[in-house]
Amino acid sequence: MRLPALFVARRNLSRNRLRSALAALGILVGVVAIASLGIFGNVLAVGADDALGDIGTQVIVTPNADAGFETIDDRTVTEIERAVADVSEATVVPLRTDGGLVRRGGNAAAATIYGIENPAAIYEAREGRLPERHRQGAVVGAGLAETLELRAGDNVEVDGETHRVVAVLEPVETFTPVSPDDAVMLPEGAVGGDGYEQVVVEADTGPEATASAAAVEAAVNDREERVDVFELSTVVDEIDEFFSLLSGFLVGLGGISLFVAGVSILNVMLMSTVERRREIGVLRAVGVSRADILRTILIEAALLGLLGAAVGVAVTVALVTALYLATPVELWVVLHPMNGVYLLAAFAFGVLVSVVSGLYPAWKAATERPVDALRG
Amino acid sequence: MAAVELRGVTRRYEGGAGPVVALDDVSMDVEPGEFVAVMGPSGSGKSTLLNLVGLLDAPDEGTVRIEGRDVTDLGVDERTRVRRDTVGFVFQDFHLIPTLSALENVVVPTVFGGDPARERAADLLERVGLGDRLEHTPDELSGGQKQRVAIARALVNRPRVVLADEPTGNLDRDTGARVLEELTAVTDDGVSVVAVTHDPVVAGFADRTVRLRDGVVV
Repeated sequence: MRLPALFVARRNLSRNRLRSALAALGILVGVVAIASLGIFGNVLAVGADDALGDIGTQVIVTPNADAGFETIDDRTVTEIERAVADVSEATVVPLRTDGGLVRRGGNAAAATIYGIENPAAIYEAREGRLPERHRQGAVVGAGLAETLELRAGDNVEVDGETHRVVAVLEPVETFTPVSPDDAVMLPEGAVGGDGYEQVVVEADTGPEATASAAAVEAAVNDREERVDVFELSTVVDEIDEFFSLLSGFLVGLGGISLFVAGVSILNVMLMSTVERRREIGVLRAVGVSRADILRTILIEAALLGLLGAAVGVAVTVALVTALYLATPVELWVVLHPMNGVYLLAAFAFGVLVSVVSGLYPAWKAATERPVDALRG
Repeated sequence: MAAVELRGVTRRYEGGAGPVVALDDVSMDVEPGEFVAVMGPSGSGKSTLLNLVGLLDAPDEGTVRIEGRDVTDLGVDERTRVRRDTVGFVFQDFHLIPTLSALENVVVPTVFGGDPARERAADLLERVGLGDRLEHTPDELSGGQKQRVAIARALVNRPRVVLADEPTGNLDRDTGARVLEELTAVTDDGVSVVAVTHDPVVAGFADRTVRLRDGVVV
Protein backbone atom coordinates (compact mmCIF):
# COMPACT_ATOMS: atom_id res chain seq x y z
CA MET A 1 0.00 0.00 0.00
CA ARG A 2 2.36 2.64 -1.27
CA LEU A 3 -0.43 5.13 -1.91
CA PRO A 4 -2.85 4.81 0.98
CA ALA A 5 -5.00 7.69 -0.23
CA LEU A 6 -5.38 6.00 -3.61
CA PHE A 7 -6.30 2.72 -1.96
CA VAL A 8 -8.87 4.33 0.30
CA ALA A 9 -10.25 6.43 -2.57
CA ARG A 10 -10.79 3.38 -4.75
CA ARG A 11 -12.44 1.62 -1.88
CA ASN A 12 -14.75 4.57 -1.28
CA LEU A 13 -15.77 4.74 -4.92
CA SER A 14 -16.59 1.05 -5.03
CA ARG A 15 -18.99 1.52 -2.12
CA ASN A 16 -21.58 3.07 -4.36
CA ARG A 17 -20.73 1.72 -7.77
CA LEU A 18 -23.85 2.95 -9.49
CA ARG A 19 -23.37 6.51 -8.30
CA SER A 20 -19.69 6.47 -9.20
CA ALA A 21 -20.50 5.03 -12.61
CA LEU A 22 -23.12 7.71 -13.25
CA ALA A 23 -20.74 10.47 -12.24
CA ALA A 24 -18.07 9.00 -14.52
CA LEU A 25 -20.70 8.73 -17.25
CA GLY A 26 -21.19 12.48 -17.09
CA ILE A 27 -17.50 13.02 -17.71
CA LEU A 28 -17.59 10.37 -20.41
CA VAL A 29 -20.33 12.21 -22.27
CA GLY A 30 -18.49 15.50 -21.91
CA VAL A 31 -15.23 14.05 -23.18
CA VAL A 32 -16.96 12.32 -26.09
CA ALA A 33 -18.75 15.58 -26.93
CA ILE A 34 -15.58 17.67 -26.92
CA ALA A 35 -13.40 15.11 -28.67
CA SER A 36 -15.87 13.91 -31.29
CA LEU A 37 -17.28 17.34 -32.12
CA GLY A 38 -13.75 18.69 -32.29
CA ILE A 39 -12.61 15.84 -34.50
CA PHE A 40 -15.69 15.98 -36.74
CA GLY A 41 -15.20 19.70 -37.17
CA ASN A 42 -11.57 19.13 -38.00
CA VAL A 43 -12.38 16.32 -40.44
CA LEU A 44 -14.83 18.66 -42.17
CA ALA A 45 -12.25 21.41 -42.34
CA VAL A 46 -9.42 19.17 -43.52
CA GLY A 47 -11.71 17.42 -46.00
CA ALA A 48 -13.00 20.71 -47.39
CA ASP A 49 -9.49 22.06 -47.54
CA ASP A 50 -8.47 19.02 -49.52
CA ALA A 51 -11.44 19.28 -51.89
CA LEU A 52 -10.80 22.98 -52.37
CA GLY A 53 -7.11 22.34 -52.69
CA ASP A 54 -6.71 23.18 -56.36
CA ILE A 55 -8.81 26.29 -56.51
CA GLY A 56 -6.79 27.53 -53.59
CA THR A 57 -3.55 27.09 -55.48
CA GLN A 58 -4.68 27.91 -59.00
CA VAL A 59 -4.91 31.29 -60.64
CA ILE A 60 -6.95 31.45 -63.84
CA VAL A 61 -6.15 34.30 -66.18
CA THR A 62 -8.72 34.99 -68.92
CA PRO A 63 -8.92 37.74 -71.53
CA ASN A 64 -10.98 40.72 -70.56
CA ALA A 65 -13.84 40.48 -73.05
CA ASP A 66 -15.35 43.75 -71.80
CA ALA A 67 -12.31 45.60 -73.07
CA GLY A 68 -12.45 43.79 -76.39
CA PHE A 69 -9.81 41.14 -75.73
CA GLU A 70 -10.93 37.75 -77.04
CA THR A 71 -7.69 35.90 -76.46
CA ILE A 72 -4.42 36.18 -74.62
CA ASP A 73 -1.57 36.58 -77.03
CA ASP A 74 1.92 35.13 -76.78
CA ARG A 75 3.42 38.40 -75.62
CA THR A 76 0.99 38.56 -72.73
CA VAL A 77 1.72 34.94 -71.83
CA THR A 78 5.39 35.82 -71.65
CA GLU A 79 4.57 38.80 -69.42
CA ILE A 80 2.53 36.52 -67.20
CA GLU A 81 5.37 34.00 -67.03
CA ARG A 82 7.87 36.70 -66.07
CA ALA A 83 5.58 38.21 -63.47
CA VAL A 84 4.90 34.83 -61.90
CA ALA A 85 8.56 33.77 -61.95
CA ASP A 86 9.44 36.92 -59.99
CA VAL A 87 7.27 35.98 -57.01
CA SER A 88 6.90 32.20 -56.96
CA GLU A 89 7.79 28.80 -58.35
CA ALA A 90 4.34 28.46 -59.89
CA THR A 91 3.94 26.87 -63.32
CA VAL A 92 2.22 28.80 -66.10
CA VAL A 93 0.06 26.69 -68.41
CA PRO A 94 -1.57 28.49 -71.37
CA LEU A 95 -4.69 26.77 -72.69
CA ARG A 96 -6.57 27.02 -75.93
CA THR A 97 -10.19 26.15 -75.42
CA ASP A 98 -12.66 24.92 -77.96
CA GLY A 99 -15.70 22.74 -78.00
CA GLY A 100 -16.49 19.87 -80.30
CA LEU A 101 -17.61 16.35 -80.89
CA VAL A 102 -15.40 13.46 -79.89
CA ARG A 103 -16.06 10.15 -81.51
CA ARG A 104 -14.94 6.58 -81.23
CA GLY A 105 -16.61 3.95 -83.33
CA GLY A 106 -20.32 4.45 -82.96
CA ASN A 107 -20.07 6.50 -79.75
CA ALA A 108 -19.87 10.24 -79.73
CA ALA A 109 -19.75 12.85 -76.97
CA ALA A 110 -19.57 16.60 -76.80
CA ALA A 111 -16.40 17.63 -75.06
CA THR A 112 -14.27 20.60 -74.18
CA ILE A 113 -11.15 20.60 -76.26
CA TYR A 114 -8.04 22.10 -74.75
CA GLY A 115 -4.95 22.94 -76.61
CA ILE A 116 -2.18 22.54 -74.13
CA GLU A 117 1.56 22.30 -74.44
CA ASN A 118 2.49 20.99 -70.97
CA PRO A 119 -0.39 18.97 -69.46
CA ALA A 120 2.08 17.20 -67.14
CA ALA A 121 2.41 20.46 -65.19
CA ILE A 122 -1.15 20.41 -63.86
CA TYR A 123 -2.56 16.93 -64.47
CA GLU A 124 -1.74 13.35 -63.66
CA ALA A 125 -2.20 10.32 -65.89
CA ARG A 126 -4.07 7.22 -64.79
CA GLU A 127 -3.02 5.35 -67.86
CA GLY A 128 -0.35 6.01 -70.46
CA ARG A 129 2.20 8.78 -70.05
CA LEU A 130 1.76 12.54 -70.12
CA PRO A 131 4.22 14.11 -72.51
CA GLU A 132 6.47 16.87 -71.18
CA ARG A 133 5.87 18.70 -74.43
CA HIS A 134 2.64 17.83 -76.06
CA ARG A 135 3.42 17.39 -79.79
CA GLN A 136 0.95 14.81 -80.88
CA GLY A 137 -1.81 12.52 -79.69
CA ALA A 138 -4.73 13.16 -77.38
CA VAL A 139 -4.93 13.21 -73.62
CA VAL A 140 -8.41 12.21 -72.51
CA GLY A 141 -10.15 13.12 -69.25
CA ALA A 142 -11.39 10.30 -67.03
CA GLY A 143 -15.10 10.98 -67.55
CA LEU A 144 -14.84 11.22 -71.30
CA ALA A 145 -12.67 8.09 -71.44
CA GLU A 146 -15.37 6.21 -69.57
CA THR A 147 -18.17 7.46 -71.80
CA LEU A 148 -16.34 6.44 -74.96
CA GLU A 149 -14.62 3.40 -73.41
CA LEU A 150 -11.27 4.82 -74.40
CA ARG A 151 -7.90 3.42 -73.34
CA ALA A 152 -4.39 4.58 -74.01
CA GLY A 153 -3.41 3.44 -77.47
CA ASP A 154 -6.92 3.72 -78.93
CA ASN A 155 -7.69 6.08 -81.74
CA VAL A 156 -10.18 8.86 -81.23
CA GLU A 157 -11.74 11.30 -83.63
CA VAL A 158 -11.79 14.91 -82.48
CA ASP A 159 -13.65 17.34 -84.70
CA GLY A 160 -13.12 15.05 -87.62
CA GLU A 161 -9.42 14.46 -87.14
CA THR A 162 -8.10 11.20 -85.75
CA HIS A 163 -5.65 11.21 -82.85
CA ARG A 164 -4.02 8.43 -80.92
CA VAL A 165 -4.78 8.47 -77.18
CA VAL A 166 -1.46 8.87 -75.36
CA ALA A 167 -2.85 9.12 -71.82
CA VAL A 168 -6.03 8.97 -69.80
CA LEU A 169 -6.12 11.36 -66.82
CA GLU A 170 -6.81 10.57 -63.20
CA PRO A 171 -10.33 11.62 -62.30
CA VAL A 172 -10.17 15.04 -60.64
CA GLU A 173 -12.40 15.03 -57.57
CA THR A 174 -11.54 18.47 -56.35
CA PHE A 175 -13.26 21.54 -57.58
CA THR A 176 -11.27 23.37 -60.23
CA PRO A 177 -12.21 25.95 -62.79
CA VAL A 178 -10.33 23.97 -65.43
CA SER A 179 -12.00 20.59 -65.12
CA PRO A 180 -10.37 18.00 -67.38
CA ASP A 181 -12.78 15.12 -66.69
CA ASP A 182 -14.94 15.63 -69.75
CA ALA A 183 -12.26 17.16 -71.89
CA VAL A 184 -9.78 16.05 -74.44
CA MET A 185 -6.39 17.70 -74.70
CA LEU A 186 -4.60 18.13 -77.93
CA PRO A 187 -1.35 19.82 -78.83
CA GLU A 188 -1.69 23.57 -79.13
CA GLY A 189 -1.31 23.48 -82.89
CA ALA A 190 -4.21 21.09 -83.28
CA VAL A 191 -6.65 23.56 -81.78
CA GLY A 192 -7.46 26.42 -84.02
CA GLY A 193 -7.28 30.10 -83.31
CA ASP A 194 -4.72 32.67 -82.23
CA GLY A 195 -3.65 33.11 -78.67
CA TYR A 196 -5.14 31.43 -75.68
CA GLU A 197 -8.54 31.46 -74.03
CA GLN A 198 -7.05 31.03 -70.57
CA VAL A 199 -3.79 30.77 -68.72
CA VAL A 200 -3.61 28.58 -65.62
CA VAL A 201 -1.04 29.45 -63.01
CA GLU A 202 -0.49 26.43 -60.82
CA ALA A 203 1.17 27.27 -57.47
CA ASP A 204 2.18 24.99 -54.61
CA THR A 205 0.50 26.95 -51.86
CA GLY A 206 -2.35 29.38 -51.37
CA PRO A 207 -0.09 32.32 -50.50
CA GLU A 208 2.03 31.66 -53.60
CA ALA A 209 -1.14 31.72 -55.71
CA THR A 210 -2.22 34.98 -54.11
CA ALA A 211 1.19 36.53 -54.78
CA SER A 212 1.22 35.27 -58.37
CA ALA A 213 -2.25 36.71 -58.99
CA ALA A 214 -1.19 40.07 -57.63
CA ALA A 215 1.98 40.02 -59.74
CA VAL A 216 0.06 39.18 -62.92
CA GLU A 217 -2.48 41.85 -62.17
CA ALA A 218 0.26 44.41 -61.67
CA ALA A 219 2.32 43.44 -64.70
CA VAL A 220 -0.32 42.75 -67.33
CA ASN A 221 -3.09 45.12 -66.32
CA ASP A 222 -0.67 47.94 -65.69
CA ARG A 223 -2.01 50.33 -68.32
CA GLU A 224 -5.03 48.51 -69.62
CA GLU A 225 -7.32 45.87 -68.19
CA ARG A 226 -6.28 43.20 -70.65
CA VAL A 227 -7.01 40.16 -68.53
CA ASP A 228 -9.25 39.02 -65.72
CA VAL A 229 -7.38 37.37 -62.91
CA PHE A 230 -9.42 34.83 -61.02
CA GLU A 231 -7.96 33.37 -57.87
CA LEU A 232 -9.69 31.71 -54.98
CA SER A 233 -6.95 31.41 -52.40
CA THR A 234 -8.42 34.28 -50.42
CA VAL A 235 -11.84 32.64 -50.62
CA VAL A 236 -10.24 29.40 -49.44
CA ASP A 237 -8.73 31.30 -46.52
CA GLU A 238 -12.17 32.53 -45.61
CA ILE A 239 -13.58 29.04 -45.89
CA ASP A 240 -10.79 27.80 -43.62
CA GLU A 241 -11.64 30.53 -41.19
CA PHE A 242 -15.27 29.50 -41.26
CA PHE A 243 -14.38 25.93 -40.49
CA SER A 244 -12.12 26.84 -37.60
CA LEU A 245 -14.99 28.94 -36.28
CA LEU A 246 -17.28 25.94 -36.69
CA SER A 247 -14.79 23.72 -34.87
CA GLY A 248 -14.58 26.23 -32.06
CA PHE A 249 -18.35 26.35 -31.83
CA LEU A 250 -18.64 22.56 -31.73
CA VAL A 251 -15.91 22.28 -29.11
CA GLY A 252 -17.72 24.97 -27.14
CA LEU A 253 -20.87 22.84 -27.17
CA GLY A 254 -18.79 19.93 -25.91
CA GLY A 255 -17.32 22.20 -23.26
CA ILE A 256 -20.79 22.98 -21.95
CA SER A 257 -21.55 19.30 -21.50
CA LEU A 258 -18.22 18.83 -19.75
CA PHE A 259 -19.09 21.71 -17.45
CA VAL A 260 -22.38 20.02 -16.62
CA ALA A 261 -20.45 16.82 -15.95
CA GLY A 262 -18.20 18.76 -13.59
CA VAL A 263 -21.23 19.99 -11.68
CA SER A 264 -22.46 16.42 -11.39
CA ILE A 265 -19.08 15.31 -10.03
CA LEU A 266 -19.22 18.18 -7.56
CA ASN A 267 -22.68 17.07 -6.52
CA VAL A 268 -21.69 13.42 -6.17
CA MET A 269 -18.57 14.20 -4.18
CA LEU A 270 -20.48 16.59 -1.97
CA MET A 271 -23.17 14.01 -1.33
CA SER A 272 -20.69 11.30 -0.62
CA THR A 273 -18.68 13.45 1.78
CA VAL A 274 -21.84 14.52 3.58
CA GLU A 275 -22.84 10.87 3.90
CA ARG A 276 -19.41 9.98 5.18
CA ARG A 277 -19.26 12.92 7.53
CA ARG A 278 -19.01 10.86 10.71
CA GLU A 279 -16.60 8.46 9.12
CA ILE A 280 -14.34 11.31 8.08
CA GLY A 281 -14.72 12.66 11.62
CA VAL A 282 -13.53 9.31 12.97
CA LEU A 283 -10.57 9.31 10.61
CA ARG A 284 -9.66 12.81 11.74
CA ALA A 285 -10.08 11.77 15.39
CA VAL A 286 -7.76 8.78 15.03
CA GLY A 287 -5.11 11.05 13.61
CA VAL A 288 -5.58 11.13 9.85
CA SER A 289 -4.38 14.55 8.72
CA ARG A 290 -6.44 17.11 6.85
CA ALA A 291 -4.06 16.76 3.91
CA ASP A 292 -4.70 13.01 3.72
CA ILE A 293 -8.48 13.51 3.75
CA LEU A 294 -8.17 16.21 1.09
CA ARG A 295 -5.92 14.01 -1.03
CA THR A 296 -8.22 11.01 -0.73
CA ILE A 297 -11.29 12.91 -1.88
CA LEU A 298 -9.42 14.61 -4.70
CA ILE A 299 -8.15 11.23 -5.84
CA GLU A 300 -11.72 9.93 -5.75
CA ALA A 301 -12.78 12.76 -8.03
CA ALA A 302 -9.74 12.26 -10.25
CA LEU A 303 -10.44 8.52 -10.54
CA LEU A 304 -14.01 9.25 -11.62
CA GLY A 305 -12.60 11.67 -14.17
CA LEU A 306 -9.92 9.25 -15.37
CA LEU A 307 -12.45 6.47 -15.75
CA GLY A 308 -14.95 8.66 -17.59
CA ALA A 309 -12.31 10.30 -19.75
CA ALA A 310 -10.60 7.01 -20.68
CA VAL A 311 -13.87 5.36 -21.69
CA GLY A 312 -14.85 8.62 -23.41
CA VAL A 313 -11.68 8.53 -25.50
CA ALA A 314 -12.39 4.91 -26.40
CA VAL A 315 -15.97 5.74 -27.39
CA THR A 316 -14.74 8.67 -29.48
CA VAL A 317 -12.23 6.47 -31.27
CA ALA A 318 -15.07 4.03 -31.99
CA LEU A 319 -17.29 6.86 -33.29
CA VAL A 320 -14.54 8.20 -35.53
CA THR A 321 -13.86 4.69 -36.82
CA ALA A 322 -17.58 4.34 -37.59
CA LEU A 323 -17.47 7.71 -39.37
CA TYR A 324 -14.51 6.51 -41.41
CA LEU A 325 -16.24 3.25 -42.34
CA ALA A 326 -19.62 4.81 -43.09
CA THR A 327 -18.53 7.84 -45.12
CA PRO A 328 -16.06 8.42 -47.93
CA VAL A 329 -13.73 10.30 -45.56
CA GLU A 330 -10.16 9.38 -46.36
CA LEU A 331 -7.91 7.66 -43.84
CA TRP A 332 -5.31 10.41 -43.74
CA VAL A 333 -8.04 12.92 -42.88
CA VAL A 334 -9.17 10.71 -39.97
CA LEU A 335 -5.57 10.28 -38.80
CA HIS A 336 -4.83 14.01 -39.02
CA PRO A 337 -2.61 14.95 -36.03
CA MET A 338 -5.05 17.67 -34.98
CA ASN A 339 -7.60 14.92 -34.21
CA GLY A 340 -5.12 13.40 -31.75
CA VAL A 341 -4.74 16.80 -30.15
CA TYR A 342 -8.53 17.02 -29.70
CA LEU A 343 -8.57 13.54 -28.18
CA LEU A 344 -5.77 14.30 -25.73
CA ALA A 345 -7.18 17.72 -24.86
CA ALA A 346 -10.65 16.27 -24.19
CA PHE A 347 -9.10 13.61 -21.96
CA ALA A 348 -7.05 16.17 -20.05
CA PHE A 349 -10.03 18.52 -19.67
CA GLY A 350 -12.20 15.64 -18.42
CA VAL A 351 -9.73 14.80 -15.67
CA LEU A 352 -9.09 18.44 -14.88
CA VAL A 353 -12.78 19.27 -14.59
CA SER A 354 -13.24 16.32 -12.22
CA VAL A 355 -10.36 17.33 -9.98
CA VAL A 356 -11.50 20.94 -9.89
CA SER A 357 -15.01 19.77 -9.03
CA GLY A 358 -13.58 17.67 -6.23
CA LEU A 359 -11.75 20.62 -4.69
CA TYR A 360 -14.63 22.15 -2.78
CA PRO A 361 -16.05 18.90 -1.34
CA ALA A 362 -12.52 17.80 -0.43
CA TRP A 363 -11.72 21.08 1.25
CA LYS A 364 -15.04 21.08 3.08
CA ALA A 365 -14.60 17.53 4.35
CA ALA A 366 -10.98 18.01 5.34
CA THR A 367 -11.48 21.20 7.28
CA GLU A 368 -14.56 20.27 9.25
CA ARG A 369 -13.80 19.98 12.95
CA PRO A 370 -13.89 16.31 13.95
CA VAL A 371 -15.94 17.23 17.04
CA ASP A 372 -18.71 18.60 14.82
CA ALA A 373 -18.49 15.74 12.35
CA LEU A 374 -18.72 13.12 15.10
CA ARG A 375 -21.72 14.78 16.65
CA GLY A 376 -23.34 14.16 13.28
CA MET B 1 4.49 12.35 35.47
CA ALA B 2 0.78 12.28 34.76
CA ALA B 3 -0.35 10.86 31.42
CA VAL B 4 -2.91 13.65 31.20
CA GLU B 5 -2.87 16.87 33.15
CA LEU B 6 -5.59 19.53 33.02
CA ARG B 7 -4.96 22.83 34.87
CA GLY B 8 -7.66 25.43 35.28
CA VAL B 9 -9.32 24.43 32.07
CA THR B 10 -12.27 26.54 30.98
CA ARG B 11 -14.29 26.09 27.81
CA ARG B 12 -17.07 28.37 26.71
CA TYR B 13 -19.44 28.02 23.79
CA GLU B 14 -21.39 30.73 22.08
CA GLY B 15 -25.02 29.90 22.77
CA GLY B 16 -28.20 31.61 21.66
CA ALA B 17 -28.51 33.44 24.95
CA GLY B 18 -24.87 34.42 25.38
CA PRO B 19 -21.82 32.30 26.16
CA VAL B 20 -22.37 28.96 27.87
CA VAL B 21 -19.62 27.75 30.18
CA ALA B 22 -19.23 24.03 29.48
CA LEU B 23 -16.18 23.58 31.71
CA ASP B 24 -15.27 25.97 34.45
CA ASP B 25 -11.75 25.94 35.84
CA VAL B 26 -11.37 22.17 35.86
CA SER B 27 -8.12 20.62 37.02
CA MET B 28 -7.51 16.90 36.87
CA ASP B 29 -4.65 14.38 36.50
CA VAL B 30 -4.77 10.93 34.99
CA GLU B 31 -1.82 8.72 35.92
CA PRO B 32 -0.33 6.14 33.53
CA GLY B 33 -2.32 2.91 33.71
CA GLU B 34 -5.15 4.54 35.61
CA PHE B 35 -8.82 3.95 34.71
CA VAL B 36 -10.79 7.12 35.42
CA ALA B 37 -14.55 7.30 35.05
CA VAL B 38 -16.02 10.75 34.46
CA MET B 39 -19.66 10.87 35.50
CA GLY B 40 -22.30 13.51 35.47
CA PRO B 41 -25.67 14.35 34.08
CA SER B 42 -26.21 15.50 30.49
CA GLY B 43 -24.82 18.96 29.92
CA SER B 44 -22.35 18.67 32.79
CA GLY B 45 -19.39 19.09 30.44
CA LYS B 46 -18.30 15.44 30.21
CA SER B 47 -18.03 15.39 26.43
CA THR B 48 -16.27 18.73 26.39
CA LEU B 49 -13.74 17.34 28.86
CA LEU B 50 -13.19 14.29 26.67
CA ASN B 51 -12.75 16.41 23.56
CA LEU B 52 -10.14 18.54 25.33
CA VAL B 53 -8.18 15.55 26.58
CA GLY B 54 -8.51 13.93 23.18
CA LEU B 55 -7.11 17.04 21.45
CA LEU B 56 -10.26 17.39 19.39
CA ASP B 57 -10.82 20.77 21.00
CA ALA B 58 -8.77 23.43 22.74
CA PRO B 59 -9.66 25.22 26.00
CA ASP B 60 -10.32 28.96 26.23
CA GLU B 61 -8.29 29.11 29.41
CA GLY B 62 -5.96 26.79 31.28
CA THR B 63 -3.52 24.22 29.98
CA VAL B 64 -3.67 20.64 28.77
CA ARG B 65 -0.54 18.50 29.11
CA ILE B 66 -0.07 15.01 27.75
CA GLU B 67 2.92 13.21 29.27
CA GLY B 68 4.20 16.59 30.42
CA ARG B 69 4.01 18.18 27.01
CA ASP B 70 1.89 21.31 26.78
CA VAL B 71 -0.53 20.67 23.91
CA THR B 72 -2.88 23.56 24.67
CA ASP B 73 -2.03 25.79 21.75
CA LEU B 74 -0.97 23.36 19.06
CA GLY B 75 -2.03 24.03 15.50
CA VAL B 76 -4.54 21.76 13.77
CA ASP B 77 -1.98 19.60 12.01
CA GLU B 78 0.35 19.19 14.97
CA ARG B 79 -2.68 18.44 17.13
CA THR B 80 -3.71 15.73 14.65
CA ARG B 81 -0.25 14.19 14.80
CA VAL B 82 -0.15 14.16 18.62
CA ARG B 83 -3.65 12.69 18.62
CA ARG B 84 -2.57 9.90 16.30
CA ASP B 85 0.48 9.05 18.38
CA THR B 86 -0.92 9.33 21.89
CA VAL B 87 -4.71 9.09 21.97
CA GLY B 88 -7.15 6.30 21.14
CA PHE B 89 -10.91 6.79 20.88
CA VAL B 90 -13.81 4.50 21.70
CA PHE B 91 -17.24 5.91 20.82
CA GLN B 92 -20.70 5.13 22.08
CA ASP B 93 -21.95 4.06 18.65
CA PHE B 94 -18.66 2.44 17.67
CA HIS B 95 -18.13 4.48 14.49
CA LEU B 96 -16.68 1.60 12.56
CA ILE B 97 -16.42 2.02 8.79
CA PRO B 98 -19.23 -0.18 7.50
CA THR B 99 -17.55 -1.36 4.30
CA LEU B 100 -14.31 -2.44 5.93
CA SER B 101 -13.68 -5.75 7.69
CA ALA B 102 -12.94 -5.85 11.40
CA LEU B 103 -9.25 -6.17 10.63
CA GLU B 104 -9.25 -3.27 8.17
CA ASN B 105 -11.14 -1.10 10.64
CA VAL B 106 -8.37 -1.65 13.15
CA VAL B 107 -5.69 -0.99 10.51
CA VAL B 108 -7.28 2.30 9.36
CA PRO B 109 -5.49 4.67 11.79
CA THR B 110 -2.13 3.36 10.54
CA VAL B 111 -2.96 3.30 6.84
CA PHE B 112 -2.15 6.90 6.06
CA GLY B 113 1.18 6.66 7.87
CA GLY B 114 2.27 4.51 4.95
CA ASP B 115 2.98 1.46 7.09
CA PRO B 116 -0.28 -0.35 7.82
CA ALA B 117 0.06 -2.44 10.97
CA ARG B 118 -1.90 -5.48 9.86
CA GLU B 119 -0.13 -7.91 12.16
CA ARG B 120 -0.51 -5.72 15.18
CA ALA B 121 -4.16 -5.22 14.29
CA ALA B 122 -4.70 -8.97 14.07
CA ASP B 123 -2.94 -9.44 17.43
CA LEU B 124 -5.13 -6.81 19.04
CA LEU B 125 -8.30 -8.41 17.69
CA GLU B 126 -7.05 -11.73 18.99
CA ARG B 127 -6.52 -10.10 22.36
CA VAL B 128 -10.09 -8.76 22.56
CA GLY B 129 -11.38 -12.22 21.64
CA LEU B 130 -12.17 -11.61 17.98
CA GLY B 131 -9.38 -13.68 16.43
CA ASP B 132 -11.99 -15.61 14.45
CA ARG B 133 -13.81 -12.51 13.22
CA LEU B 134 -11.05 -10.68 11.33
CA GLU B 135 -12.79 -10.66 7.98
CA HIS B 136 -16.29 -9.92 9.26
CA THR B 137 -17.80 -6.57 8.36
CA PRO B 138 -19.41 -4.51 11.14
CA ASP B 139 -22.95 -5.55 10.21
CA GLU B 140 -21.94 -9.16 10.79
CA LEU B 141 -20.83 -8.36 14.34
CA SER B 142 -22.83 -7.85 17.52
CA GLY B 143 -22.74 -4.57 19.42
CA GLY B 144 -20.26 -5.90 21.95
CA GLN B 145 -18.04 -7.28 19.21
CA LYS B 146 -18.14 -3.96 17.41
CA GLN B 147 -17.08 -2.15 20.54
CA ARG B 148 -14.22 -4.59 21.02
CA VAL B 149 -13.12 -3.91 17.42
CA ALA B 150 -13.24 -0.23 18.35
CA ILE B 151 -11.04 -0.88 21.38
CA ALA B 152 -8.54 -2.71 19.19
CA ARG B 153 -8.63 0.24 16.78
CA ALA B 154 -8.02 2.66 19.65
CA LEU B 155 -4.91 0.70 20.63
CA VAL B 156 -3.34 0.14 17.23
CA ASN B 157 -1.13 3.23 17.36
CA ARG B 158 0.10 2.40 20.90
CA PRO B 159 -1.55 5.39 22.58
CA ARG B 160 -0.81 6.67 26.08
CA VAL B 161 -4.46 7.24 26.83
CA VAL B 162 -7.69 5.67 25.57
CA LEU B 163 -10.75 7.92 25.71
CA ALA B 164 -14.11 6.19 25.84
CA ASP B 165 -17.35 8.10 25.32
CA GLU B 166 -20.21 6.08 26.85
CA PRO B 167 -18.49 2.85 25.81
CA THR B 168 -21.35 0.74 27.19
CA GLY B 169 -24.13 3.13 26.18
CA ASN B 170 -25.46 0.94 23.39
CA LEU B 171 -24.74 -2.41 24.99
CA ASP B 172 -26.66 -4.68 27.34
CA ARG B 173 -25.31 -5.26 30.80
CA ASP B 174 -23.33 -8.46 30.17
CA THR B 175 -21.85 -7.27 26.90
CA GLY B 176 -21.01 -3.97 28.55
CA ALA B 177 -19.19 -5.79 31.31
CA ARG B 178 -17.16 -7.71 28.74
CA VAL B 179 -16.15 -4.46 27.02
CA LEU B 180 -15.23 -2.91 30.35
CA GLU B 181 -13.03 -5.91 31.12
CA GLU B 182 -11.19 -5.27 27.87
CA LEU B 183 -10.78 -1.62 28.75
CA THR B 184 -9.47 -2.56 32.17
CA ALA B 185 -7.04 -4.99 30.55
CA VAL B 186 -5.69 -2.08 28.51
CA THR B 187 -4.47 -0.37 31.66
CA ASP B 188 -2.23 -3.33 32.46
CA ASP B 189 0.16 -2.09 29.81
CA GLY B 190 0.36 1.34 31.41
CA VAL B 191 -2.21 2.89 29.10
CA SER B 192 -4.61 5.24 30.87
CA VAL B 193 -8.33 5.01 30.25
CA VAL B 194 -10.73 7.91 30.64
CA ALA B 195 -14.36 6.84 30.25
CA VAL B 196 -17.19 9.35 30.18
CA THR B 197 -20.44 7.71 31.23
CA HIS B 198 -23.86 7.72 32.80
CA ASP B 199 -23.46 4.08 33.64
CA PRO B 200 -22.60 3.33 37.29
CA VAL B 201 -21.27 -0.08 36.17
CA VAL B 202 -18.43 1.71 34.39
CA ALA B 203 -17.56 3.49 37.61
CA GLY B 204 -17.38 0.06 39.26
CA PHE B 205 -14.55 -0.94 36.92
CA ALA B 206 -12.70 2.38 37.30
CA ASP B 207 -9.88 3.10 39.70
CA ARG B 208 -11.35 6.50 40.38
CA THR B 209 -14.47 8.44 39.51
CA VAL B 210 -14.57 12.14 38.76
CA ARG B 211 -18.00 13.74 39.00
CA LEU B 212 -18.92 16.79 37.00
CA ARG B 213 -21.89 19.06 37.41
CA ASP B 214 -22.44 22.26 35.39
CA GLY B 215 -18.85 22.20 34.24
CA VAL B 216 -17.35 21.93 37.68
CA VAL B 217 -15.71 18.95 39.39
CA VAL B 218 -17.74 18.06 42.50
